[in-house]
Amino acid sequence: MIFELTEEQNLIRDMVREFAETEVAPTAKIRDEEERFDRALMFDRLGELGLTGIVFPEEYGGGGADYISYAIAVEELSRVCASTGVTLSAHLSLCANPIYLFGSEEQKQKYLQPLATGEKLGAFGLTEPSAGSDAGGTRTTAVKEGDNYILNGTKIFITNGGEAETYVVFARTDKNAQKHYGISAFIVEKGTPGFSFGKKEHKLGIRSSPTLELIFENCSIPAANLLGDLGQGFKIAMKTLDGGRIGIASQALGIAQGALDLAVSYARERKQFDMPIGKFQGVQFQLADMATQTEAARLLVYNAAYKASKGLSYSMASAMAKLMASETAMQVTTQAVQVLGGYGYTRDFPAERMMRDAKITEIYEGTSEIQRLVIGAGLLR
Amino acid sequence: MKILVCIKQVPDMESKFKIDGDGTWYSPGDLVWRMNEYDEYAVEQAVQLKEKGGEADITVLCIGPERVKETMKKALAMGCDRGVHIADDSNWKKDALTNSAVIAEFARDKNFDYIFTGMQSQDRGSGQTGVLLAEMLDLPCVTTIVDFVFDAGAITVKRELEGGIKAIVKVSSPALFTCQLGLNTPRYPTLPNIMKAKKKELLSIAMEQLQKIAPRQETVKMFFPEKKGGGLVLEGDSADLADQLIKILKEKTTVLA
Repeated sequence: MIFELTEEQNLIRDMVREFAETEVAPTAKIRDEEERFDRALMFDRLGELGLTGIVFPEEYGGGGADYISYAIAVEELSRVCASTGVTLSAHLSLCANPIYLFGSEEQKQKYLQPLATGEKLGAFGLTEPSAGSDAGGTRTTAVKEGDNYILNGTKIFITNGGEAETYVVFARTDKNAQKHYGISAFIVEKGTPGFSFGKKEHKLGIRSSPTLELIFENCSIPAANLLGDLGQGFKIAMKTLDGGRIGIASQALGIAQGALDLAVSYARERKQFDMPIGKFQGVQFQLADMATQTEAARLLVYNAAYKASKGLSYSMASAMAKLMASETAMQVTTQAVQVLGGYGYTRDFPAERMMRDAKITEIYEGTSEIQRLVIGAGLLR
Repeated sequence: MKILVCIKQVPDMESKFKIDGDGTWYSPGDLVWRMNEYDEYAVEQAVQLKEKGGEADITVLCIGPERVKETMKKALAMGCDRGVHIADDSNWKKDALTNSAVIAEFARDKNFDYIFTGMQSQDRGSGQTGVLLAEMLDLPCVTTIVDFVFDAGAITVKRELEGGIKAIVKVSSPALFTCQLGLNTPRYPTLPNIMKAKKKELLSIAMEQLQKIAPRQETVKMFFPEKKGGGLVLEGDSADLADQLIKILKEKTTVLA
C-alpha cells in the first residue's frame, strides 16, 4: 500500500492551491456576504485551468486525470471557498459524470464535451418537495408524445441552478411501475420552452453558490435526450450520487483543512497571559484533535477516490468518506471558532463562514443518516 | 530557435529551516520543495518567446537529486519541450562555478540561441550561476531583466539597476538573460498540460559525466543570526505615546538633541 501522491497529483495540488489562494480567496468573504456567484472566477477560470473535466478522457475534452486529482482540486478550492468547491463538484460529479457513464456517443459529443471543457456549466435535478432522501418518491413526470417527452413538475435545492446550461433531470415515466423502476433520466438545456427557474434559496452557508428551484411546465424535450435506458433513472441517480459523495467529501475535507490552518496560524500569533495561545497545552490538544480528524478524513476520501479510479466498487467507501469528512468539517470548524474565541465569532475572520459552510456537507448529496444507511446495508448485504 | 532554461529546486521559503548536522547547510528533512521563484520568470519568458517567435524548442535543465524531477515537470507543464536532469545527490555542496561549468559542458555544442536563468536562487543566493555560464560559453549576458521584447529577431530588454533606476539594453542572439521579479507573471500549469508533461522527454545525465573541475569554494559554516532583543512597544493614549516617544528620541538619539 502506497500513501504517496504521484508527481502529477502534487503538481495539480500546487497549481490549484496557488490559484485558490491568489484568485479565489480574496473575494470569498464578500461573495458570501452578497450571496453572489461569480461565474468568471468560480467556473470559467476553472475551465481555463482544465479543472472542469478532470476525470474524463481527452477525447471528450477532459483532462485524463484520476479521481484523486479531482478530490485534491475540490479540496483545495474548498479550503478557501466552499462555494467554489461545490460549483465544481456539482458540475462534474452530478451532471457531466452521468452523461459520461450512461450517455450515448452522440450525447457525449454534444453535451459532455462542452461541460468538460468548461464552455457549459452543469447541474443535477433530483430533489423535489416530496422526494429528497427518498428519490423513489419523484413526482415530476415525463410523458412521451411522438419524438418528445413532456416534463411537468418542480425540482428544489438545485446547486448551480439558473446559472447552468445543462441539467440532468429525473422524472417518472411509468406511473404503474414499482416506485424505483418508473423513473428515467433526461438531459434538459436551459432555454427550453417550459423550463424556468423559481426562487433562489437564502442559505446558512455556501452562499456564493446559487441554489434554485427548477420548474417544468409542459416542457418538451427531444426523446433523444433520454439518458440511459427508460426506467433506469433510479440506478443512474444512485450511481451518480456514489461519485458525488467523493466530491462533497473532498469539499468537507477542504473546509476542515482551511479551518485547521486558520486555527494554527491564529494560535501562533494571538497572545494571552504574555504568550502565544498555542503555547498552552489546552489549545495544543484542540489543534491536535482537529489535525488528526482531518488527516483521518483525508485518508478515507483518497481511498474512495482511489477505488473509483481503479474501477473498483466504491459505494461504501464513498459513503464512509462523505460521512467522516462532513462530520469532521463540522467539528473542526466549530473548534476553530472556539480557538479564535471572540474573533472567531466575528465576520472579520473566515472561521464563522467555514462553520456555516461545513453544515451543508452533512446534509446534501445524502445526509449523514443516509450515509450510515448505505454503509449499514452494505455490511449486512 | 533553441532555448535553454536553467532552473533550481529550492525549499518553500515559508518552511521552518533547521541547520543540518555538519553545520554547513539546511536540513532537507520535512521541507516542501518548489521551483526557485526567479526561475519561474525564466521559464515563463522562454515559453512566451516561443509563443511569440514561432518555431522553438525549449530545454529545461536542473541539477539535483531525483526529487527535482517534480519541479522539472512543472516547467514542462508550463510549456518547456524537453528536460535534462543532471543527477547529483549532493549538489548543495557544490559552488556556483562548478554548476556553471557543468551546464556549460552540456550546452557548449548545442547552439542555444537564448538561455534564461533566474537572477539568483532563493536558498544559496550567490547570483553567479547565470553570469558564469555566459562567460564560459562566451555569450553576452544581461542580468536582472524586468522586460523582454522580441521583435523580428531583435531583442530589447529592460534591466533593473540600484535605486529603482532602469536601463534599456539591445542585444542580439545568442545571449543569456538572468530574470528578476517583475519580468512577467508565471502561468499556472493547466491540468491537461500537467498530464501531458509526463509524456515529454526527460533525460538524466550523471553529474560526474559533465563535471570537469573541482569546486573552489566551500561553505564551512551556516548559522542563524543571534537573536537581538525585541523592539520596544509603547502603550497609552495618543498624547501619552507622543510624550514617551519624544523622551526616548531625546535621551537615546540625536534626532531631537
